[in-house]
This record gives sequence, structure tokens and C-alpha cells, in this order.
Amino acid sequence: MELANTLKQDGESRGGVLAHLERLETQVSKFHKKLEEPQDAQALEARIHELERLRDNLRAEVKQRQARVKASTANVEPDQTLEISEQEILERKQENVKAILQAYRFTGISGKLTSRGVCVCISTAFEGNLLDSYFVDLVMEKPLWIHHHSVPVFIPLEEISAKYLQTNTQRFLFVLCEYLNAYSGRKYQADRLQSDFAAFLVGPLQRNSLCNLLSFTYKVKLEGQSFPFCARLLYKDLTTTLPTDVTVTSQGMEALPSTWEEQRADHENLFFTKPLHQVFTSFARKGEKLDISPLS
Amino acid sequence: MRREPAGDVGRAKEMDETLAEFFRRTILKIPMTEMMTVLKTWNFLSENQLQTVNFRQRKESIVQDLVLLCEENRASLNDAALLDIIYTQFHRHQKIWDVFQMSKGPGDDIDLFDMEQFKSSFKKILQRALKNVTVSFRDAEENSVWIRIAWGTQYKKPNQYKPAYVVYYSQTPYAFTSSSQLKSNLPLLGQALTVASKHHQIVKMDLRSRYLDSLKAIVFKQYNQSFETHNSTTSLQERSLGLDINRDSRIIHENKVEKERVQKVTQEIFGDYPQPRLEFAQYKLETKFKSDLNGGILAEREEPLRCLVKFSSPHLLEALKSLAPAGIADAPLSPLLTCIPNKRKNYFKIRDK
Repeated sequence: MELANTLKQDGESRGGVLAHLERLETQVSKFHKKLEEPQDAQALEARIHELERLRDNLRAEVKQRQARVKASTANVEPDQTLEISEQEILERKQENVKAILQAYRFTGISGKLTSRGVCVCISTAFEGNLLDSYFVDLVMEKPLWIHHHSVPVFIPLEEISAKYLQTNTQRFLFVLCEYLNAYSGRKYQADRLQSDFAAFLVGPLQRNSLCNLLSFTYKVKLEGQSFPFCARLLYKDLTTTLPTDVTVTSQGMEALPSTWEEQRADHENLFFTKPLHQVFTSFARKGEKLDISPLS
Repeated sequence: MRREPAGDVGRAKEMDETLAEFFRRTILKIPMTEMMTVLKTWNFLSENQLQTVNFRQRKESIVQDLVLLCEENRASLNDAALLDIIYTQFHRHQKIWDVFQMSKGPGDDIDLFDMEQFKSSFKKILQRALKNVTVSFRDAEENSVWIRIAWGTQYKKPNQYKPAYVVYYSQTPYAFTSSSQLKSNLPLLGQALTVASKHHQIVKMDLRSRYLDSLKAIVFKQYNQSFETHNSTTSLQERSLGLDINRDSRIIHENKVEKERVQKVTQEIFGDYPQPRLEFAQYKLETKFKSDLNGGILAEREEPLRCLVKFSSPHLLEALKSLAPAGIADAPLSPLLTCIPNKRKNYFKIRDK
């Protein structure tokens, strides 16, 4: 038995046949030595038990380790996914809040806190079109003051801030908002007229910085004839987008035939009540309906 | 090859000699590299006409040909003045610009500015005062107008070679004028501007520079256009301090804290935007001598000392901004230097209070 064991315990074969024979020789001499020792049955039994116990322990340990490895590989995925989802949730929340803050622009007045106060953003719009944004950087001190801004120089910012900035900041912002929105709206109308209805204009559109005085000559067709009219629109109220004074005259000073006089009065009324580009849209539509003859 | 057939000589005589000479000298001023651009902007000579000119000749010959073309088109003094305006617009840095501020009376009506009315009113006022004056206008961007004025007197024709220029942005109280050599006409110019633009008073600001666009940025307070919004992606901390502290990890800046403080203070005062361009700042001091030491010759002096301190630079504000970071001056700099764009002045008078 022992011989067989020692042979097994050797494991690999080292050297060739001679080496193998040498080993066998040493084993035999060992065996003889052990045979000379007193055979202690009890000691042998004890040794067997010991070895058995050792083998059992080792087997148990191997099983435990295998189980642990399996368990740890099984547990790794659930743990990591838990972490990812928490981070993801937070990131999504943060992006959401950022998007809401950015979307505040669409309310018309929004702002961001700065190290010294707040930077207010006034986003102007006209007829559902988002137009330019203007900024006012306020310093929160007593007295409140404007650090820098992007309000055009022809908007009476100094006047408005002298009246309201210290006493009623909210009013200050609303009034400024009114002026800027009205300016944006008037500018939008003048730009639309110049770009979309250039065909109707005779000569350039005269305008000024505030777009509160517009002067132009335009041609409209009636019964196959086209007639030039001179229009002069004044916007004396800087918080409105419709004119306060309108004069439409015929280019020559001759008396107009009655149909044209009707048209003239009608146009005057239109300019008072409708935004400029809408008036010209209606001219274009009328022209499409009535006029069959080619453009004169 | 000079073109002098008999017909052209006859036509040339139709244009006044002085006018032809004015055309010649105005066109001669234009550098060849800009010649086509300027002529196209002027839009007085047609494409076909320009193509007949051989631009590979000597400049004098090219100018000669162009003047002949002007004569063909029966160019007037106004056309020449317009060309002069365009040249000046391209070379605005060659002039030194002053700034004037106008004010309205209390309770004045809303400014319904009519450009045509303004031009006609302005011209009439000058022509009524001086029989001989040439006034020309050219509309420019942002509802502004460039005005060219050649001054004459009751008895002398206007001097076309020393004109004054005014740049006026409608519905603002500011006008920019090129410093004219003929200073006696300044009050009249001021009056014409004020009345035509429906203001009551005009005052010269203590601000002057060659760089018209920078003056506009300062006066209209447009030089700082960076605003914090939720839409901006650059955070102020991320921007490098320009120190490159981490360029080599083996190098440690002993005064890192101080450098960062200086950088922070400089950024607070000067901002992150490009500074408007000025060439100088002038301080006239009229102060009594102040000294810590008791006695001394100057300490007993009753009269204030007068002295003039002038800072010059190709770009004064950028130079001032770099002083503290370069270690040449302490931060923060004196408010007398840093207030220049905010106060819209680069001429200061400092007196004892």
C-alpha cells in the first residue's frame, strides 16, 4: 500500500529508466526500515484517522471556496446595476432641472443668480415668434445698481431705472419688458415688410432706430390698375406695436377718383388696426383674388 | 498709354477744374489694394466702365482714367464728397474722434426721428449761417448717418480738403465728430446737430480716440456683452487662469495664492471681454503737495501744483489689464485708471476737494 502511495505521491517521472530504478531501490530500503520498526496498530489507526480527517477538511474547504466563487460571481451584477441606476436617476434629475431653468426663457423674464446679484434675461416675442433677448446684470446692494446690460442705447433705460429700480424692482422689470417687447415687435413688422413684401414697395423703407416712424411708398392693384400710395406711420406710444398716427396719401396731389379714395381710407384704417406685415399679406391675397391681368 | 482724343478734352472742360482735381486727389489717396472695393461701394462707375480701365498701369495713369470716367458720367461735387466719405469710412482710424452728448429739456415729446427731416434741417442751418458750405450724407448701419462738411465763409468757397465728419446714431444723444482743424466752426456744428435732432443742449465729453468703434462701444456701454445664463456651457472656474501652473509638475509657484488673487481681482475689474481700444489717458492734476515729512520746501507752498500725466499705449486698456498679472503694479489698480470705460472719459482733471 505504502509503496503504491509513494509511487503516486511522486507525481511526475523524473529522468529515465535508470532514475526510475534508483527510486524503486530507495523505496525498498525505506520499506525495509519501516518493517524493522515495531508495528504499532493503534498508532497506525490513529494516523489513518488523522489522514481521513485532513482529507475531509480539505474537501470541505474546496467545496466552500467553490460555493463562494459561485456566489460572488452571481452577486456582482445585481450590486453594480443598483449603483448605476442611482447615479442615472440623479443625473436625469439634474438635467431635468437644468432644462426647466433654460425653458424659463419662454416666460419672457428669467434670471440666473450671480456672485453679486442676478442676471435678468428679457426674451421678447411677437405673435408667437421668439425674438431677441436682452440682459440686465443687477448688483444686489443698497442701492441696487446695474452692472452692465445689453439694452439698446435708444431705449430709455436710464429713465425707467430712475423711476422704478430702487422703489419697485418688479415694476422696473415689467416696464422695461414692455418697452423691449414693443420695440422688438415694431422691428419685426418693419423687417417683415422689407423682406417679404419688397415687391409692393416703391423705393426704400424709411425707418429709425426705435422703429417708431416708418415712411414708405407702396403700390396696390385695383381693377387692373396699380396706384402708388405714400404711408407714414407714427408710433408715439413706445409700449405698443400698433401705430398711433397713420397718414396715407396719394403720391401726386391730384384728387383721387372715388374708388381710390375709398381704398386710401380703407388702408389707413387697416394700418391702425393690424400689424404692418399682416396688412400687406391681405393686400397680396386681394391681389390674387381680383387681379387676372399681369403685373403692371 | 494716355487717352487724349479731342472729344474727351472737350468733355473734360465741362467739369470744373477744381472738381476734377478734387476727384483726382481723392482717388489717388485710395491704396491700390482697396481700389476696387471702394469703387464698388461708391457704385458710381458701372462694371463695364471699370472694366475699360487697365489696372496694371502706374497708379497716376489709373487715376487719370478713372477721373475721365467720372467726367463721362457728369459726376458732381456731391458724388466726390460721397467718395470721400467712403474713403474715410474705410480709414476711420486716420482721424481723431471726439464725442458730444446732447440733452433734451424736461418733458420733451417722444423722439419721432425722421432721417430726411434731420438731414434737411441740418443742412439748412449750416447753409443759412455760412453761404458757402458743402454738406453731404451717407446712411450707415444701425440707423446712423455719416455727415461730411466742407467749410467755407461768406466770401470763400468751401475747402474740400479739410472737411469735418460727424457720425450720428438716430435717437441717441451722442454724436462723434472728427477733430476738425477749423475749430471756429465747432459751435455752429453743435447747434446744427442739436436743433436738427430735436435736442436742447450739447456738451463735449472728455473722451477722445482714433478708434471710432471703441468710442461707440464705450459710450453706448456695449463693451461688456458676456452675461451669465443657464444656457451657457462654460463655467468661470473651468476657464484657465492663463498661468499654466500645471505646465510642469516639477515647477511649483511659491506665490501661487497671490497670483490667483491678482488674477481674480483683475477679472472682476476688467472682465473677460476684449477691452475697447484707446490710445491714451490724460490726467491734469491741480493739487497741493502732500507729504508725510514735516517741513520741506514744497509743504509750505500755498498754490496748488499743476502737472499733466499722460499714459500712452497702442491699446491702453489691455495694457492696464496686464499690469497686475505681469507683476508691474499692485492689484487692484487705482480707480483713476480702471474707471475709464465706465465713466466714459480719458481726460481727467483732479483737484483737491
